[in-house]
Amino acid sequence: MLVIAVEHMRWLDSMREAAADRYLCLDYLTAVDRIDRIDVIARVLNPMNGAGVEYCTSVGDGSLSSITSVFPAASWHERETAEMFGVKFVGMVDPRALLLRTPIGAPPLLRSTVLATRATAAWPGTAEPGGSPGRRRLLPPGVPEGWPAT
Amino acid sequence: MTPHHVIALIPDACTSCMLCVRECPSWSISLDSHTEQVSEPGARRPRTINVLDGFRIDYGTCMYCSICIEVCPFDALHWDVGIDQSATVRADLVHDETRLSEHRTDQR
Repeated sequence: MLVIAVEHMRWLDSMREAAADRYLCLDYLTAVDRIDRIDVIARVLNPMNGAGVEYCTSVGDGSLSSITSVFPAASWHERETAEMFGVKFVGMVDPRALLLRTPIGAPPLLRSTVLATRATAAWPGTAEPGGSPGRRRLLPPGVPEGWPAT
Repeated sequence: MTPHHVIALIPDACTSCMLCVRECPSWSISLDSHTEQVSEPGARRPRTINVLDGFRIDYGTCMYCSICIEVCPFDALHWDVGIDQSATVRADLVHDETRLSEHRTDQR
């Protein structure tokens, strides 16, 4: 799959160009938390031959142009990405929350968001093989130092 | 509908090394173990081994990502054919070592 990195200012223009090149179907749009930045990724498909292209951009100040004017189907994905990663899509047609009935105060899929259950539950990996309590202070994989998890 | 495949355990192959417990992204695995001294003929000193007391996978939170299978150094965890894992109470979604080893079949 061809991956095209674009400047966030050219996000909407890139989608227009993709649609003009007959990539008329939006497969998905989502975000990835790279710790130092948030990347937004959109895959578009050419329905005539099944070819796909992935567009990727780094969100600058946390906001990005909505692409619903080009791909109306992006609305669902933008609602999810806004809710889960805190990305603001300028010009969203439907800004309602998609999945969470009540907001939890922070975008849940950002790595910096402490999940309440993780902070309060005991990690089962603290014991050493053989059952003795660990001498080293271990953190669960992927958990940043200083988390309240253990 | 074909049942979802399950992660099954061979308790005799488990050395209680804790790798699967620590790598599980959803904290779905827990195990209890203790150490025992084993004397072997000809050995100068008894050997200390880990003995598995209990092993549980919580299928209520397991994502079936198979990281535990990947990291197990002794292939004690493996994919097995699916069984009906539905339960009427939440606690029954936690499968212990007996139930996890009952998953083993010859259909692999």
